[in-house]
Amino acid sequence: MKLTGLALIFATCVISAAAQDTLVLLDNLAIRETHSIFFKSLQERGYKLTYKLADDASLVLSKYGEYLYKNLIIFAPSVEEFGGDLSVEKITEFIDDGGNVLVGGSSVSGDALRELASECGFEMDEEGASVIDHLNYDVSDTGDHTTIVASPSNLIKSKIIIGSDVTAPLLYRGTGLLADRENSLVLQVLTADSTAYSYVPENSIKEYPHAVGRGTLLIAALQARNNARVVFSGSLYFFSDEAFTSGVQNAQGGKSYKQSGNQKVVESLSKWVFGEVGRIRVASVDHHKEGETTPPQSYTITDPVVYTISIEELDHGVWKAFQADDVQLEFVRIDPFVRTTLKKVANGKYVAKFKIPDVYGVYQFKVDYDRVGYTHLYSTTQVSVRPLTHTQYERFIPSAYPYYVSSFSMMLGVFLFSFVFLHYKEEPLKSKGDDKKTQ
Amino acid sequence: MDTSTKLNGGLQKQEHLVKLGILTIAAILSFSTRLFSVLRFESVIHEFDPYFNYRTTRFLTEEGFYNFHNWFDERAWYPLGRIIGGTIYPGLMITSGVLYRLMWLVNITIDIRNVCVFLAPFFSSLTTIVTYLLTKEIHSVGAGLVAAAMISIVPGYISRSVAGSYDNEGIAIFCMLLTYYFWIKAVKTGAILWSTMAALAYFYMVSSWGGYVFLINLIPLHVLALMATGRFSHRIYVAYSILYCVGTILSMQISFVGFQPVQSSEHMLALGVFGLCQIHSFVDYIRSKMSKEYFEILFRALVTTVLSIATLVGIILTITGKVSPWTGRFYSLLDPSYAKNHIPIIASVSEHQPTSWSSFYFDLQILVFLFPAGLYFCFSKLSDANIFIILYGITSIYFAGVMVRLMLVLAPVMCILSGITVSHLLTKYIKSVDSPAEKKIDPKKLRKFEQQSGGVKSEVALAFVFVLTFLLISYTFHCTWVTSEAYSSPSIVLSARSHDGGRIIFDDFREAYYWLKMNTPEDARIMSWWDYGYQITAMANRTILVDNNTWNNTHISRVGQAMASTEEKAYEIMRELDVDYVLVIFGGLTGYSSDDINKFLWMVRIGGSTDRGAHIKETDYYAPSGDFRVDKEGSPTLLNCLMYKMCYYRFGQVYTEGGKPPGYDRVRAAEVGNKDFELDVIEEAYTTEHWLVRIYKVKDLRNRGV
Repeated sequence: MKLTGLALIFATCVISAAAQDTLVLLDNLAIRETHSIFFKSLQERGYKLTYKLADDASLVLSKYGEYLYKNLIIFAPSVEEFGGDLSVEKITEFIDDGGNVLVGGSSVSGDALRELASECGFEMDEEGASVIDHLNYDVSDTGDHTTIVASPSNLIKSKIIIGSDVTAPLLYRGTGLLADRENSLVLQVLTADSTAYSYVPENSIKEYPHAVGRGTLLIAALQARNNARVVFSGSLYFFSDEAFTSGVQNAQGGKSYKQSGNQKVVESLSKWVFGEVGRIRVASVDHHKEGETTPPQSYTITDPVVYTISIEELDHGVWKAFQADDVQLEFVRIDPFVRTTLKKVANGKYVAKFKIPDVYGVYQFKVDYDRVGYTHLYSTTQVSVRPLTHTQYERFIPSAYPYYVSSFSMMLGVFLFSFVFLHYKEEPLKSKGDDKKTQ
Repeated sequence: MDTSTKLNGGLQKQEHLVKLGILTIAAILSFSTRLFSVLRFESVIHEFDPYFNYRTTRFLTEEGFYNFHNWFDERAWYPLGRIIGGTIYPGLMITSGVLYRLMWLVNITIDIRNVCVFLAPFFSSLTTIVTYLLTKEIHSVGAGLVAAAMISIVPGYISRSVAGSYDNEGIAIFCMLLTYYFWIKAVKTGAILWSTMAALAYFYMVSSWGGYVFLINLIPLHVLALMATGRFSHRIYVAYSILYCVGTILSMQISFVGFQPVQSSEHMLALGVFGLCQIHSFVDYIRSKMSKEYFEILFRALVTTVLSIATLVGIILTITGKVSPWTGRFYSLLDPSYAKNHIPIIASVSEHQPTSWSSFYFDLQILVFLFPAGLYFCFSKLSDANIFIILYGITSIYFAGVMVRLMLVLAPVMCILSGITVSHLLTKYIKSVDSPAEKKIDPKKLRKFEQQSGGVKSEVALAFVFVLTFLLISYTFHCTWVTSEAYSSPSIVLSARSHDGGRIIFDDFREAYYWLKMNTPEDARIMSWWDYGYQITAMANRTILVDNNTWNNTHISRVGQAMASTEEKAYEIMRELDVDYVLVIFGGLTGYSSDDINKFLWMVRIGGSTDRGAHIKETDYYAPSGDFRVDKEGSPTLLNCLMYKMCYYRFGQVYTEGGKPPGYDRVRAAEVGNKDFELDVIEEAYTTEHWLVRIYKVKDLRNRGV
């Protein structure tokens, strides 16, 4: 027991160490300085950052099939082609294998980022295009209204992703993103105001802009099905020291704030994207007949069944009981036959008791807990539900008593009759006719 | 005196010896002629249904009877499951289970698979003996021996009872003839013993084959015919009453049959005749007690009341649904076009198709010509037993004409009647052949013979005997040839002749099933067309969606829809049904014609026959010219459906035949129309050596959602 405990601790240490290995790709090393607050906060939280130029010829993500990093930060908007071993395919493969990626773009983003974005279900606007908002721009704006003030009300409604109590507006300067409508996994973390659009500021508008109003995404996120997380920001400036520290005031007569909300948002966003928060898992699933403790080989129809699932949440590197009251269970055979909210009991355990439907077949206990910001929790347990065996039917049904009586009286009658028939002597000729009648 | 009895005794002994010899040889012959497939391939179970029977038998021997009786199979019909115990005729499994146990009891450590493989030949040996007994009862010992010899090699019966063809029919024919034998015995003697034996044999028949319905309609028909011809007697009364009561109660013990014997209309004839028997005897009794005039009045009154009450009750029961409406399979017996028009799933089975004329000759050869003569001889010497065999012959020839597989029921009666013909004719003429020798011994007797045989000259008689012998020999050769060429292929292992005359074996099916068994997770769910369901569960031991027990039309239809839809739509259906792998049979490379593309129109029809598949229309899959083609002219719906893509994936680069472009389909004799395409929602997992079986894995949802 102790040994396994030690092993567990050791294992978590290894995992957390590996989880914090982060590769940072930069356009130039100056970014390291201009975004020092962000990087410093990461380092303070225990991340080991490895800075590399995006076109460094020695770039590798994995060695001998093992990934060297758990997270990847790409703050290299202008990169046209990654250096070394790295490529867009490698990065998508990295995501498919569970790696987290944070990308900061700008209005001069290169092809590499564009490609990566489309692999993740977003689309970056044309080269040179910026998000322009003539009604919501900061006082510090130079005139083309591209340093826009994004209202915190446009943030996604999820405390896990963006943190709580963000009141100050956000400073944003960069290109706009478009979400793939078909892709249900894309989260719109921050959208522009309805007055915004994305276009090249220097050009006069000749055609309809790609992104208009709220459809213009400023920050988009993707939680892949394997729970790898990707955050894509159209603005690298959003993460910069300048945006973090400067005050913000809407030039069209808004309230003045001493400090923008960027730092707060970025901090929780980085916590989310690197998997510090919002990670839940199924610790154990247990089901059995009421009054028993072990799952049977198969259930019988109309059995009362108890289903217990225990869900854990990662809290500062430790798995703790998860608290929620909206976890639902479905008992499915093609369609759900039973759908019920699980009741919370101690230690993150959720229990449901119900009667198995009167239909035999192969069923699944299905918990499909999909909440914005949280890991997609999906647990199915297949069980078979069999019909009654020949010994399980009711033996003596009251309504059948008349039939019992009739059959036994018949037997008795035949018995008596055969006595009479055999031992009654009269005229011998008639006996055959009698025989027939009794049949 | 003393010497003559001795001589008689010696003759009798010789006769016994000859009888025994002929019967033994016939029985051995019937066993050994069915072994072609075992010798040529190996001891392997054949085709589709036998695999299910084999699997259930194995379960029975491993788990015991009660577990078998209550068996709920979650591996089949995912996710519906199937109650196996309540939906099969267990006679076959129990028979081989008992044989297996007996063998082990005497320390013969035989494998259960071998019991299953050799059960059908073994039972056909028994059938040979029963045929002899039955024909002996109907006609004579000689006829019995000829019939026994004939049935031992008749192809119509062999087609369903070669070694490895482990199916219900293999033992059901034996049960049927046994029941008939006991029934004839009972009719002849009027003994309760024989009719009880008949009831027990009937019970065995019910427990082993759904075709018992034929039997339980034929026997009442016989009784009815005897009534109509004024041959009804106490003997028949006793025989039928006992058989019906005991037989019905026993048959209701089979859980698959349940209450059908008293509810469904297929059994109503038996019930009606039972009632009629009582009335008939009652009327006979009254008649013997009453004066003629009074009886006439009473009789009329009785008939009208009984008829009206019966009609009323019948109508009420039908309306309230107590009497089940005529089921589809039975309708298709009476009206050959019924199934085709109404139930695609029944019409899609090749053995439910009407029989072609040629197959009568192919399966029965000279019996076809001897049969009418046998009927004539039966008519010429009418007796209770003869009437039965006449009815059996006439009804079964009708049913065999409706459905190919009922040829099986026809074959025994063909043999019996032909046996009667041959024996009758031979006894008549062979005496004339011997006449010169006999002339010297007993001229008086000869005169008698000449009168009997209509004064046939010995040369004519000799010629006739030669012709008949020649016919019989040709029958023997024909039967052996048919058995060897047509009915001895296991269909699980295929063979073909190569250019240089050598034999090529295609063992792709087993290769694929073993691949599934070894390389897929234990609980993987495999979608295939229903034909291969039994084989997959038996050999690969994986969960399947539909199988050859076509009990749920909607579920099969759903699979048909998936096969007939585009990839995207099919993916939705496959996700809904939790499909992990898809298996298709493709014969385009080897020229194996009963593959999934040739069955595809049935998938479309069955898929489109339910509400959810209403958008699938058969006409969409035909080329503009109105025929079904897979080349460039083919309809785009066909060229883009899942089945087409799974069959022809990567096929466009393959050269199949010299002088033909790549992607030339040897079955359809066409170059495929859609060559270079990629699969989106599935990926190729395995393709067997000759491309006969192709297995695809259903991809997961995209990780990044695009």
